[in-house]
Amino acid sequence: MNERRATAAGADATEATSVRLECAGLSGGHGATVVFRDLDLDVHAGTVLALLGPNGAGKSTLLLTLAGLLPARAGRATVDGVTLRSGNAVAASRAGVVLVPDDRSLFATLTVEENLEVARSRGGPAPRDLLDIFPALDKRWGLAAGALSGGEQQMLAMARALIQRPRVLLVDEMSMGLAPLVVETLFDTVRTIARDHGAAVVLVEQHVRLALDVADEAAVLDRGSIVLRGTADELRSDSRTLERAYLGELEVAR
Amino acid sequence: MDHVASLLLGLGSGGVFAALALALVITYRASGVVNFATGALALYVAYTYAGLRRGELLVPVPGLPKTVDLGRELAFAPAVALSLVIAAVLGALLYLLVFRPLRAAPPLARAVASLGVLVVIQGVLAIRQGTNTVSVRPIFPVDRWELGEVIVLSDRFYLALTVVVLAVVLSAGFRYTRFGLLTRATAESQTGAFVSGVSPDRIALVNWMISAMVAGIAGILIAPVNPLTPVTYTLFVVPALAAAVVGRFQSIVTIVAAGIAIGMLQAEALSLASDVSWMPQTGAAELVPLIVILVALVLVGGGMPVRGGLTRQRLGYAPRPRSLLLPMIAGSVVGLLALALTAGTWRAAVISTFIAAVIGLSLVVVTGYAGQVSLAQLALAGTAAFTLSMLTEDWGVPFPFAPLLAALVSTAIGVVVGLPALRTRGLTLGVVTLALAYAIEAVWFRNSDIVPSSGARVTPPSMFGIDLGIGSGQEFPRIEFGLVCLVTLVAVALGVAALRRSTLGSAMLAVRANERSAAAAGVNVVRVKVLSFALASFIAGLGGGLLAYRRGVVTFDSFTAIGGLALLSTAYLAGITSVWGGISAGIIASTGIMFIALDRWVDLGEWFQVITGVLLIVTLIVNPEGIAAAGHQLADRWARWRSSRSAGGAGVERRAVAAVAPTAAAPAAVAPVDGAAALRIDHLTVRYGGVVAVNDVTLRIDGGTIVGLIGPNGAGKTSVIDAVSGFAEARGSVELGGRRIDTLAPHARVRAGLARTFQSLELYGDLSVEENVSVAASGRRHTDRRAAVARALDNVGISGLRDRPAGALSQGERQLVSIARACVADPAVLLLDEPAAGLDSDESAWLGERIRTIRSAGAAMLLVDHDVNLVLNVCEHVYVLDFGEVIAEGPPDAIRADRAVAEAYLGTMHESEVATA
Repeated sequence: MNERRATAAGADATEATSVRLECAGLSGGHGATVVFRDLDLDVHAGTVLALLGPNGAGKSTLLLTLAGLLPARAGRATVDGVTLRSGNAVAASRAGVVLVPDDRSLFATLTVEENLEVARSRGGPAPRDLLDIFPALDKRWGLAAGALSGGEQQMLAMARALIQRPRVLLVDEMSMGLAPLVVETLFDTVRTIARDHGAAVVLVEQHVRLALDVADEAAVLDRGSIVLRGTADELRSDSRTLERAYLGELEVAR
Repeated sequence: MDHVASLLLGLGSGGVFAALALALVITYRASGVVNFATGALALYVAYTYAGLRRGELLVPVPGLPKTVDLGRELAFAPAVALSLVIAAVLGALLYLLVFRPLRAAPPLARAVASLGVLVVIQGVLAIRQGTNTVSVRPIFPVDRWELGEVIVLSDRFYLALTVVVLAVVLSAGFRYTRFGLLTRATAESQTGAFVSGVSPDRIALVNWMISAMVAGIAGILIAPVNPLTPVTYTLFVVPALAAAVVGRFQSIVTIVAAGIAIGMLQAEALSLASDVSWMPQTGAAELVPLIVILVALVLVGGGMPVRGGLTRQRLGYAPRPRSLLLPMIAGSVVGLLALALTAGTWRAAVISTFIAAVIGLSLVVVTGYAGQVSLAQLALAGTAAFTLSMLTEDWGVPFPFAPLLAALVSTAIGVVVGLPALRTRGLTLGVVTLALAYAIEAVWFRNSDIVPSSGARVTPPSMFGIDLGIGSGQEFPRIEFGLVCLVTLVAVALGVAALRRSTLGSAMLAVRANERSAAAAGVNVVRVKVLSFALASFIAGLGGGLLAYRRGVVTFDSFTAIGGLALLSTAYLAGITSVWGGISAGIIASTGIMFIALDRWVDLGEWFQVITGVLLIVTLIVNPEGIAAAGHQLADRWARWRSSRSAGGAGVERRAVAAVAPTAAAPAAVAPVDGAAALRIDHLTVRYGGVVAVNDVTLRIDGGTIVGLIGPNGAGKTSVIDAVSGFAEARGSVELGGRRIDTLAPHARVRAGLARTFQSLELYGDLSVEENVSVAASGRRHTDRRAAVARALDNVGISGLRDRPAGALSQGERQLVSIARACVADPAVLLLDEPAAGLDSDESAWLGERIRTIRSAGAAMLLVDHDVNLVLNVCEHVYVLDFGEVIAEGPPDAIRADRAVAEAYLGTMHESEVATA
């Protein structure tokens, strides 16, 4: 655990000094309802931010807005200082913002290889290169994505994001419905991606402990606003506050 | 042997249907557009090709010369190449100018836009090329091959072969190229494409170009076989659509096979018709697409796959009429004045407007309210018109009875037309009804055995010795007939408005919005669909009868399948979801007052049709939900402004909030009656594909108790509710009050006393709060229903929101409406799926109190929620689910103290952290 922290701190000191993703006064929502408002957030290159909070807090909506799949209501988001065009998914993708949506949005009838081939860019890694990170996909290579298990689908969704060499990686509810062992493997990968590729990662997660283990920083979103922000260590040590934000008054036995 | 020969004769047209079906599928997969103009595109390219072979280039732009002389006749290859380049440009223009701006519009809007394109292309060609047939030199050698006794025309064979080769090339392209891969990916999931860095727009553009070229090839191939005329080519789209439906808009092999088979069967049907006495002499060929579609629906079922899009589609807002009397009087006065102040052509136009409005209202019922796309309404009107001729001329049935009987005949046929709606929905249903209209037109209306070539005469109406007919000569058009039409229109309009306010109307909107949640509210979806077709057909029949009286002699051209397409376009544009929209459809219909005025005042001459097509497209791009939608929004804003002034802001009644502190100890459980549980779930297992969502769950709810079900995201909580309420297939048994219910349909489980809410609420945004709740009370007597609805609203504490549209409520208010809707049937057991989602903690505590009130009214409850606090405070017994299995159960205090529960929520803490935390 401590070792991992140290690595992250080391990364901070060397390559990850620049703010990669920055939101200033960002508001957004679906249709007529505003889901989050006036949000300020920054994520450094090479770090992982865990975005926590109860259901309906606006976490997924924020990610969709950053990925250009929903238009922003107000404010702006920048990647390396360049403002993203609101509601333009193609522009967001060109700027290096890649989303792994909570429903994964895989191409269910296409094979694993084809799913990766779709997202491949010229000069980028080849589909088979991703097997270094997700060796488990090798034996599923020719199978339709819809036939994979939940964990394998999530790996494929991650691989499809990575093949695009993201500068900002947005991961929504990766652990949903997955067995704990699979989840831990996936989280390790997230860590590696941030460290080795210098991506800024925003991780929306229900699984609080695991998320805090992997994150450098964390923010708690509740009803559309950030109610708690700090390093992952700070939030972990202040578990009372965290639990209250999450579970209401549930008395967790100690 | 004869049969083989005639089957082979159909290879030619079969090949063309197959190619057009391919073109249809390519545009549908790439952009979700069912392009009714595919046949028209083929026609345009065929004309271009024919021109090039004569050495002239076709120029469609008005004002410029009709053709440019190229100086010499082009050879086959350069002519084809240039034609296909023009086709590609046309395809690109169509996508960029029409369908890209409409990419977020409802699917019906896009289909209607393609009808606009059809009208424009057909109109342009009629003007620039005339309606004379153009013949084209053969492309393939025309030989007679004699294989034994069978004779094959070689050109037909080559044509079909070319199409098969084309299909193979396209299949290979979509299978093996990167572009094909991206196309398949985009068709599967647009979100997936976006997050993969692929622009679905660009893929769609290229596919439109390919589709136009494929359609163009079809046009060029058939040109030498079938002389060029605008109308026949346009109608090739009907068999092509049939082939596409058979292949579910997906499988290229099936689609090509179906296209060729339809062509061959048509040829066979024609030859049979001349040999076999009982076969209909005309229309046998037109019956083939219908029969092929129906057989495919029965065998394979389903419709076209829904494309994964980003926006949720809707048909447009269907406002509830606020009052009936005032609009009725105002409308009648305006109608009377219009009749009294006009004469001659103008009065005839007013009368035609009334009649078109009646037929338009039939679409409001079936498509606007019930959401069933019907392209057969005009054909149904036609069945009444021709029946009326028989009733009056042959049997002498007197006036008010003859048209009513004729309308009843339409009703009977309409119910049959509506039967496919039980298997399919949306635009597939539109295609089926189009095929029906096409068949009815050919088999009945154009059949010279039934209808004399001069048309079917209708005896003018008269009652009590008063002549109500339209008259002729100097008298034409008589005001008496105008009054008959006006009275009919007012009666139908009143009926349709009253329908919107009735329980049946609410049930129709519920079916339109979401069949699943309608069934969960106890609505019998099958019955509602059939009734909507029956009512709409009756109305269309009334309109058809009037039209027959208006004409005096009924001919097929008033009731063609293409006319049915135009009718739906007009009604959609005018606002298919409201009574005023239906009436406006009459005004802007091609026989209506507006077009007569346009024609009189602005001399558009021959460009009239083209300009209306362009107007249709432009209006759609500006108002994808029709022009009435803008008016509804205005009216709604006005009403809201007024109600906010009078009521001083009716919101959720929070009177209870202060009084209720969350009680730590839940009230003692009510003892179950002689041991029978209100709900018993035994060994329930739910699988989705390979994933086990719920694994062997057993739980029990005693009468009058509230049982909680908690667990982290993805634990299977909603799957349990889905399985118990009949929305997910499951193994295991479910008993309600000791009676097995796991074999019942969802709506039957509701009737048995099991109600549920949905996490996604599934409210009907168009309906008022009261109507949303009253949908679940259908099947009761009127007064009972009102009382039950009032009680449910009151129990949940939202009586003050009664008249607000559900779409305008806050999330918390919507939750309460959803609960009230579930309560209205006085269920024995109520399943609440995430009722506190989106509520703040005050509202949540208050909701807890409300839930106890409902319990004290007699319902046992299963409460699923993320708000653990709420569940633990309200429930007497709690089950905890993780990875589909029950990991803990017991009274709230025991759950609070359970380590495993906290771990399921927060994740496994490492030993060290547990120690330090």
